Formats: sequence, structure tokens, C-alpha cells
Amino acid sequence: MSRGPAQFMPREKGAAPLDVMIGIMAFLAALALGASLLADRASLGWRAGLSNRLTVQILVPAHGDAPRELVRETAAALAVLRATPGIAHAAALSETEMQNLVEPWLGKGSLVAELPLPALIDAEVIPGAPVDLISLTARLKKVAPDSQLDDHSRWLARLKNLADTITWTAYAILILIAVATAASVTFATRAGLAAHHEMVSLLHQMGARAGFIARAFEQHFALSTFAASALGATVAALLFLTAGSLEVFGMEAVPFLPPIALKLREVAWFAAVPLAAALIAWITARLSVLAVVRKIY
Amino acid sequence: MVRFENVGMRYGAGPEVLRGVTFSLDAGSFTFLTGLSGAGKTTLLKLIYVAEPPSRGLITLFGNDMATTRRRDFPAIRRRIGVVFQDFRLLEHLSAFDNVALPLRLAGRHEGDYEHDVEELLSWVGLGDRMHAKPATLSGGEQQRIAIARAVVARPDLLIADEPTGNVDAEIGARLIRLFAELNRLGTTVLIATHDRALIESTKAREMRLVDGRLVELRTAIRA
Repeated sequence: MSRGPAQFMPREKGAAPLDVMIGIMAFLAALALGASLLADRASLGWRAGLSNRLTVQILVPAHGDAPRELVRETAAALAVLRATPGIAHAAALSETEMQNLVEPWLGKGSLVAELPLPALIDAEVIPGAPVDLISLTARLKKVAPDSQLDDHSRWLARLKNLADTITWTAYAILILIAVATAASVTFATRAGLAAHHEMVSLLHQMGARAGFIARAFEQHFALSTFAASALGATVAALLFLTAGSLEVFGMEAVPFLPPIALKLREVAWFAAVPLAAALIAWITARLSVLAVVRKIY
Repeated sequence: MVRFENVGMRYGAGPEVLRGVTFSLDAGSFTFLTGLSGAGKTTLLKLIYVAEPPSRGLITLFGNDMATTRRRDFPAIRRRIGVVFQDFRLLEHLSAFDNVALPLRLAGRHEGDYEHDVEELLSWVGLGDRMHAKPATLSGGEQQRIAIARAVVARPDLLIADEPTGNVDAEIGARLIRLFAELNRLGTTVLIATHDRALIESTKAREMRLVDGRLVELRTAIRA
């Protein structure tokens, strides 16, 4: 039998509407947290994959014998790249690699084979080596007029912006959910105080300190919030893990983007959701009760 | 122990319920408070058990001037007072045992320390076999006895009872009065508000009567 102040709170039967609401909010908070973790990981992955790399694209020439001219320009561009100090490695992508690249957008089939695909050269820069991109572009244009040099800086900046936007949006959602949780618990605490006014008044009359009465409520709300939000966060975790297992079987949830499966250590962050929710409920309930009880003579 | 000087009380902008009430209760005294319904008995008791502040006048409890006592010291003063409320005010979700043990728990005592005392007291008021029952399953008289047991269990310095025998038969009523007398003999100051003339006449205690909000001393304690 519990002997703490919480025992003075009557046991509610069944899930209270507040528990349902907090469970849903915890589910949404966990989704937002998962999204921010995925955005962080994707951003790191994209940057790791594209940093220290240059791509030279040679468009299909619009003049003369296009296929032959494409091969010539590609070979000339490769020679310029390999002769440039600071470039460790340069290689043209094979036809199969090119088809694999466009496959997610255009699918497999004869359509892709018939398309006049440009040539792509992937070059790796020695980390830290200074490569004069303006000069390199000029030299490439001289031998391969249809070439375009891309150091991915614009793409990387946009990816970083995208990842940052997702992360900050997730943080904003988390803050909104925290505020909503606090507001809900405040409302529920006040409703609880009104419903249990007789109990509060009696305890107060018998000499219970405001802190003792507050503990009865804060324990009740912190425990029920923890249970409800743990359920919500668990459902969200299962959702991410299920998405991961679908990807294992080749059913990619979102093509072109990094996998939405979270690793176990990332899912462990979800444990923070019920802990934070319980803490918010604890503090909110305490402050609400103290404010009300201290108004009683 | 309790001292009222020219105390007046009104609720909001209403008429004065108590007017110029002056009296004192000495430590270890036994006093009845009488008066017609609406005379202000319950209001006077509320002022004594620190449920309401007076509109005017001076109240001193256990040597503390309540007008200057800090609010944070009120709980300690309230814990020295046992109250039997007219409407019992039992917590419906707690058993008879837990209701009676409430003051002891608020005082920070552990169940192991008081379990025997609470059981003994419940047996004494005739509820030894109902100690795990919830108030809703008990009769009015049984609830009243739980309320009385709760008020006396911590051996308060001051016991205030508002119509404590209103719902019990004569035999139980006499038994409860013996309980109050025994507590009084052990040093508790007792103040009982009642209409029950037989109860008052059965003792030689002091009687104060409220008439239209004014206090009249009807009988001083008769020394045996």
C-alpha cells in the first residue's frame, strides 16, 4: 500500500482523456525527434559523400557527330583533370552506372537506353589540397566546350539548409508539444483541484503543508503522464523500426532519401520523451497546486 | 490556549455573523458551545480551527497572535487542533483505517508506529470490524465515529467538535463523551458545539451560548 502523498489522490479508472492526449502528443514528439535525428544523419551522409569531390558533366554536343564528339570531349576533360595538381583520381562513369543513377527517376527499360545521356566524370580531390576551380573550369572549357564543372558547394549548402530546416522545425514542434503538455497538465491539475476540492481543503485544514498537497498531485500527474507518453513514444519507435524492416525487404519508404530506419542507439533517444513529459507534468502540476493552495486561508 | 478579543465576522458584504465575541479557553478546560441554528456556532468554530480569518478583533491560539503569525506557521498550529466536522468530511476513497490515520500521516509518522493505536481506537468506537470499509458503505453514525476517531487519534492540544453526537444513539453518544472526557483528563482542551441538553447536563462543564452572534456565558465549570 502506498504511503506517500499520492495515495490521497483517488485512483481513476480507465484512461483519462488527458492520458490519451498526452499519449498522442508524445507520439508526435517522438516523430519530430526521429525526423530531426534522420535529418542530422542524412545531412552528415550527404556531406561525407560529396565533400572533396568534383563532378564534370559533358552534355551531348549539339553539333557534328554527337556520340563521337562526346567521347572525345570526355577523354580530353579526363586528361585535364588528371594533370591538375590536387586531384587524386578522376574516372568517367560507365553506361551502367549512368543508368543506375537515373533509374530511380525514370525506371528501367528501353526509354533510358535510348536517351542521350551526358557523360559524367567523378574526380576526387586530395583533402586540403587547393584546387583553383576558375582556372580548371577555363581549361576544361578549352578542350571540352560542352563540359560543366560542379564542386557540389551549392548542392551541399542547399542540403545543409534542408537538413537544418528539418531539424529546427522538429525542435520547434518539440517545444510546441512541451508547451501544449504543460498547458494540458495545468488545465487537468486545476480540474483535479476543483474535483478534489473537498480533499484538498480537508488536508489543508488538518495541517498539511502546501508542498505535501502538491506532492499528491504532482506524483499522480507525473506517473500518469510518464505511462501515457511512454506508450506514445513506443508506438513511434515501433513505426520507425517497422519502416526499417520494410527497407530491409526492399520496400523503400521514401526513394532517393536516406533510409528512415533508426538505429537502436537513436531509438534510445525516444526514452527522453516520456522522461521530459513526466518532468514537465511534475513541475506544472506542482506550480499549479501551490498557486491554488496558497490562496486558501 | 484560545483567546478571542472583540472578534467580529461577516462573509463578504453580508451582516455580521459574530459580533464583539470575547472569551478564552484555558488549557485543559472542557466547554460546551450552544445556540440556535444559525446563531454562528460553526463560524466561531471555524475561526478557532483557522479555517477563516476574522473580519475584526484579535485571536490568540497557543500564544500566537493570529493576525501577526506567518501563514507558513499555520499548518503547525492546525495540526495541534483536532476537529470533528458536522458533516464528517471523510475522504471517500480511503478506508476507515486510513481516514483515522490521516492526522498521524500528516505528522510524518510511519504506519508501523501507529497501526496498533488506530486499530485500538477504531475498536473503542465500535468499528473494529469495519476498519477496511469505505465511508460510503457505512451508516451516518459509523461515519461520525470515524470522524471523531480521526480528530482524537493524534491527541491534539485542542479538540473541537461540531454536533459530535448528532447521528448516534444515546449509548454510543455517552461512550463518545467518555472518550472526550478521557482526552480532557489527559490534558486536551475540549470545545463541543451541541444542541443536546442531556449531553450538557450530564457533565459539569462550562457552557457558552451564542445569541444573535453575541456570546453569553451561561455556566462556568462546576468543580467537583
